[in-house]
Amino acid sequence: MDDSAAASEPNAGTRATGAVMRAIRIVGWTAIVSGLLILGFVAQQLFVTTWFAEQQQDALAEEAQEHFATTEVAEVAYVRPASQTTTEDGTVVDSPNGDGSQVSTPEGSEPRTLLVEEAAPEGEAFAVVRVPSIERLEEGWTVVEGVGVRDLKNGAGHMPTTPLPGLPGNSVISGHRTTYGAPFHEFDTLEVGDIIEVDTAIGTHTYGVREVQIVRPTDVWVTDPREGSWLTLTTCHPKFSSRQRLIVFAELVDGPNYEAIYA
Amino acid sequence: MKQWFIDLPGPMVAKVIVAVVVALVALVALFFIYDWIGNNLLDTGGTIG
Repeated sequence: MDDSAAASEPNAGTRATGAVMRAIRIVGWTAIVSGLLILGFVAQQLFVTTWFAEQQQDALAEEAQEHFATTEVAEVAYVRPASQTTTEDGTVVDSPNGDGSQVSTPEGSEPRTLLVEEAAPEGEAFAVVRVPSIERLEEGWTVVEGVGVRDLKNGAGHMPTTPLPGLPGNSVISGHRTTYGAPFHEFDTLEVGDIIEVDTAIGTHTYGVREVQIVRPTDVWVTDPREGSWLTLTTCHPKFSSRQRLIVFAELVDGPNYEAIYA
Repeated sequence: MKQWFIDLPGPMVAKVIVAVVVALVALVALFFIYDWIGNNLLDTGGTIG
């Protein structure tokens, strides 16, 4: 009995050592695989999506130039809804007694002519946004119609329920902050007075930044109509998180429709 | 992993083909999982509402 116990002791020790080694091996491999998965995720998000977006941008830039050359620009008389009033912060709201009628330009003043274009089909490139004070946007980033997941992977996206850039109201364009080329990566550096240019078939519309705000993703008021012509750019905030939204409000300061809207 | 490869039925060529197909499917699945996580947690594209 004693002999067999003595004989089994080395075996028990070997088994224990084997179990520990096996556990270490499992932990080691788990750490290696986890690390590779995380590295793969970072590489996919930072490099693969950006490579993809840049390929798309090359094609979309050509598509936008073709859009500029082939889109018909029409002239229409500009009227402002009489049922809307303007609050102090520039937001246009429905007045209590508004009947939806429209008023022409004040009597005696020159008739206002607005240049307009038809909205592009969803997913199609129709504009280029440039921000001279941000290096990666000096050359411009092509804007497509629509803010679906696929639209925003290709370029910045124009919210179809809002006016096109250069027209009266509040034109909203969204873009990625950290992935898919990260066109709006440095929007936190924008300051009041910085210039944003948007090329469309109508011409180049120049906006001046009026305000930069951080809001919740559900704050749809940022897309509300505004008096005059506004460009609202939206992106995720903080970087590498979709917890909030960084909003840049910019007002038209020059362009083909400036006189018609602000005269 | 090695044992899984050894246990695959058929000749060596068939085993290699099956292993490559499985690896490609896993990579594509991983890509879609990464993309979903990125689009929903890291950067949605800044859409409102």
